[in-house]
Amino acid sequence: MSITRQSNSNGVLSKERLENIKEKLDQGLFPQWMVSDPEIFELEKDKVFGYTWQYLGHESELKEPGDYVTRWLMDDPVLLVKNKKGEINVFLNSCSHRGTHLCAADVGNRKTFTCPFHGWSFNTDGELMGVIAGNKVFGEKMVRPEWNLRKIPRVETYKGLIFGNLDKNAMALDDYLGELKWYFDLFLARSDGGMEVVGSPQRWVVNTNWKIAAENFGGDPYHVATTHKSTVELGISPQDPLYASYGHQVQLNHGHAINVSSSENGLNVPPYQGLPEEMWPMFEKNLTKEQLEVYKETVVIVGNCFPNLAFHCPVHGNEGHLHNYLTLRIWRPIAPDKTEIWAWFLIDKAAPEEYKQASYKGYVASFGPSGTLEADDTEIWTRVTKASKGKMARDRDLNFNNVLNYMMGMDKIEPNRSWPGPGIAYPTCFTDFALRGMHDYWLDLLSADRDE
Amino acid sequence: MEVQEIKLNMDLLYDITNLLNQEARLLDNRNYKDWLELLTDDIVYRMPVRVTRESKDLTGKDDAMTYFEESKKSLTTRVLRFGTTSAWAEDPPLHTRHFVSNIMIEPGLKTNEINVKSYFLTKRSRGTDHHAEEIFGERIDVLRKVNEEWKIASRCIYPDQSILTVMNLTTFL
Repeated sequence: MSITRQSNSNGVLSKERLENIKEKLDQGLFPQWMVSDPEIFELEKDKVFGYTWQYLGHESELKEPGDYVTRWLMDDPVLLVKNKKGEINVFLNSCSHRGTHLCAADVGNRKTFTCPFHGWSFNTDGELMGVIAGNKVFGEKMVRPEWNLRKIPRVETYKGLIFGNLDKNAMALDDYLGELKWYFDLFLARSDGGMEVVGSPQRWVVNTNWKIAAENFGGDPYHVATTHKSTVELGISPQDPLYASYGHQVQLNHGHAINVSSSENGLNVPPYQGLPEEMWPMFEKNLTKEQLEVYKETVVIVGNCFPNLAFHCPVHGNEGHLHNYLTLRIWRPIAPDKTEIWAWFLIDKAAPEEYKQASYKGYVASFGPSGTLEADDTEIWTRVTKASKGKMARDRDLNFNNVLNYMMGMDKIEPNRSWPGPGIAYPTCFTDFALRGMHDYWLDLLSADRDE
Repeated sequence: MEVQEIKLNMDLLYDITNLLNQEARLLDNRNYKDWLELLTDDIVYRMPVRVTRESKDLTGKDDAMTYFEESKKSLTTRVLRFGTTSAWAEDPPLHTRHFVSNIMIEPGLKTNEINVKSYFLTKRSRGTDHHAEEIFGERIDVLRKVNEEWKIASRCIYPDQSILTVMNLTTFL
């Protein structure tokens, strides 16, 4: 589908203003008012989150028939449940009768879901099974299948990741992930059996806009040297102020962004993120020659699958030794200035048990609300949002020079054309190309003409 | 070493209450170095995530994922971090107040240990924010008598929220 930008002439994105925004973005400037403007937030809810693929969960979270987890797709409650055949169904978690939030638990196992309001019950295929006093009150003509649980219009998976989309005409997930798949495979497909989720997600609330968090993972290794300086002082992170710059930042299609970091000249790092040597033959079997070439020297992979699924595959630990892990996280927008974070820990199913344990400890040490890295991130994201709410920052006509600087690398850095992976790869992670790509796609969606 | 049976009596409850109050005071005064002294070298310090589960599924405590999974060494790393010049989440420092109550003592698994249960409510005020944040729940501790002094040998913190409403955990609970 091609999208043409269209202003909502009566609303916040008038034609003139849209031109103005576009002009600024082209200069690497992001209007500060758009960070947490309430009307932009409402537009995002509809035009961004209503039309893009949203991460809902991982196949490894549902093991037995009847296993379920409940999630949110923006403001829509979602129920993921494994049926008797072992297939995962994804429904709106709202009774088809009068709309009650059907299953209020986060996780569990059920054969049937019974609504506490009037007692309608549904099986794991969402079929309406029981209607209290059925024929007596609704008559025999009631067509029960018409009142099955409502399915999320599109559900597709990629290497264990389950996504949903409210737009029935959306491009296939495979196409949407596009260039990102090559990089996803570096951690999702490197080992036999792929990754598995351990335990429940950590969840907490931060008073910031979702975009700040998405950008932080998507294209901002520049913040590492300062925001996370405490770990440098502790000797956990390298002293070299440029350490987070080594490697490549890659601008990908559909607003996805990734940073594949390595060491200076690819030296002095253990191959394959220090994963146990016994796992290397799997990597060599499962990855392509080009992927191996990149992955062998990789230290950290961090990025954002547009709009709000971030992934981070680093090496870390607080006990003097470093281990690799994967965290997936959803920045769930609650309000223009409030985001709920859902953070999952994953590790290779095929990793040695001892390694899995150490990897999990490395994760909890560094990320999540107590993480020696993330604790400072959330503090600073909150400060950005707090300082972007006033008349000066919120002025939609930019009378106060209220634009933010995303100019790093503009007209200075050329792409590395010999980079073996897809996307436009820049030979440093200290640049804003990926975020500028993200902003462009975001504005495309915000201003898309969706009259269908 | 002479093994003495530990008597669960008012004196002991008084001593343990004093110790937990003292611990709260050390944390609120940011005296983390002395706080570390209250912990045994082999301490297991955990905070499992809380999950909302159906009533048939009991408590919803998920031991497989935590907000803290700590040893003395990793706790020491966290304490050292507060001493750096760039622990931004605590600069300016938050004002915290650790309230501990409903303390109960029970026999331990070993002769020199007792189990201690307590409730906690930690309030904190950040900068000029109008709202005070809070986190609350219960703690299951094992205290061990080492050289005539009680030390915390194990702590499991169970928060009462499935979704924490603090943006970070930069103090200990």
